[in-house]
Amino acid sequence: MNVTLCNDDGLYRAGGELSAKWRISRVPLDEVQGVEVSVLWHTEGKGDEDLHVHHFQRLAEHQLRRTGLADEQVLHCVLPATPLSYHGRLISLQWCVRLRLFLANGREIVAEQPFHLVSAEMVRPHSVSTDRVHTAALTKAGVGGSGRGKVLEHAPAS
Amino acid sequence: MGHALAGEAGELAFYAGLFLVGVFGFSLVLINEVAPESVSQVPTDALSTGLGTWVFGILSLASMITGGVTLLYRLARIGASSERRSAIAKMAGSIDMIGPTIDDAQALPSVPKGSAITESPGERLTYRLAAEKAKSGIAGPATLALLWSSAWLVLLAVVVSGFWNGQPRWYLAVLLVPFAMISVWSFRFFLNQFRQFAGIGPTIVEISSHPLIPGGQYDLFISQSGRLSLKRLTVLLTCEEETFYRQGTDVRVDRHEAIRQVICKERNVAVDPQGPWEQQLRIDLPDNVMHSFVGTHNAIRWKVVVSGESQPWPSFCRSFPVVVHPPDLSLKRSPR
Repeated sequence: MNVTLCNDDGLYRAGGELSAKWRISRVPLDEVQGVEVSVLWHTEGKGDEDLHVHHFQRLAEHQLRRTGLADEQVLHCVLPATPLSYHGRLISLQWCVRLRLFLANGREIVAEQPFHLVSAEMVRPHSVSTDRVHTAALTKAGVGGSGRGKVLEHAPAS
Repeated sequence: MGHALAGEAGELAFYAGLFLVGVFGFSLVLINEVAPESVSQVPTDALSTGLGTWVFGILSLASMITGGVTLLYRLARIGASSERRSAIAKMAGSIDMIGPTIDDAQALPSVPKGSAITESPGERLTYRLAAEKAKSGIAGPATLALLWSSAWLVLLAVVVSGFWNGQPRWYLAVLLVPFAMISVWSFRFFLNQFRQFAGIGPTIVEISSHPLIPGGQYDLFISQSGRLSLKRLTVLLTCEEETFYRQGTDVRVDRHEAIRQVICKERNVAVDPQGPWEQQLRIDLPDNVMHSFVGTHNAIRWKVVVSGESQPWPSFCRSFPVVVHPPDLSLKRSPR
């Protein structure tokens, strides 16, 4: 499973457009029950997780049979003005494109590609400052539009 | 995973039980009303009066509805991914009758509106900020002191009557001593709260514009009245991370001050009813700071904090929430 963002640096302006490509390979079509693609933000840190889906698309089995899995799929959405990405001491707010694959045997595989929603000022190259509240997010390792996000596998609940 | 599953199963069992108990209770009431002779063998003391029957019926109905609705809701959530649940909730929220309108909520999602702040006009500046509700009121300490003192007096009366009748209750008499100490402590705590409540006058905070935008400059007017001799008076602008988390069965809250900007700090401030302490100050909000944010379990809150160390009154600290929007927004502002 692979999710690729259109911006190499993973920075997206609030209110701007996001394009991403996703592909599922080496999984037989008859083993797949459904696919969910979502653009969402979630919190990490000491507190319980908050999660909010901004864009959601579910492809059921019959839709997948029509479109097939071999081709690269494209996702477009207009991002909201808020909440902006944030990395603090107790709270981190992270945006990502999440791809969830439901297999026939009950297993789920999740691939995630994080990105940063920032103000227009931050997207301009000259204005990137070293403020700890906002720009700490930009230095997070592993962030990049063309890089592969993390992939997690969930066993069915028993 | 196992604990989460067991918890979910336990919740389902509880709500199913609640629903079934409600069905049973409501059936009893219905049978009692429709065919009372057929339930003569059922020991229903609560149903002996008309009022008791209806109270029992309403409780049963509430139990049935609560259990049934919650059970259905929980069952619908099982098997759906967290993203799908959130998408369903978002879809439900977009219905006009349930959620806020698109103009209101979609413009700046997860940012508090702060409309309550702009509803109060100021006398010196545009808006008067509302103080955050005090965490400790005076009603709680007063009730504690009153109830504990009353209980102690009842015990004292029992002990005195025992001595009077020649049947002294020594154990109870000994217990009166620690109970009296608790009574004195609760009364002193109440007095302390009362002094703080009554002795320190109101704090008025007004601001020139709202909501705040990173990089902006704002005028701030502060007025502190009362009869006080303050050792130190401080006005701050703070940004606080607030997070709620579950620890066992408790819900705990943790806060961290991410930004603290001292706007004013004065020593030896005298305040009297005829001459309140008044200052016109200026806020320079830094660039690239995080905007206000409110989630279900996490929040980032900005506020103006006025605190004072005073004698003989206890120290005080009052917070006035403000909302910070992200930059680069050409949102409609209040015409004021």
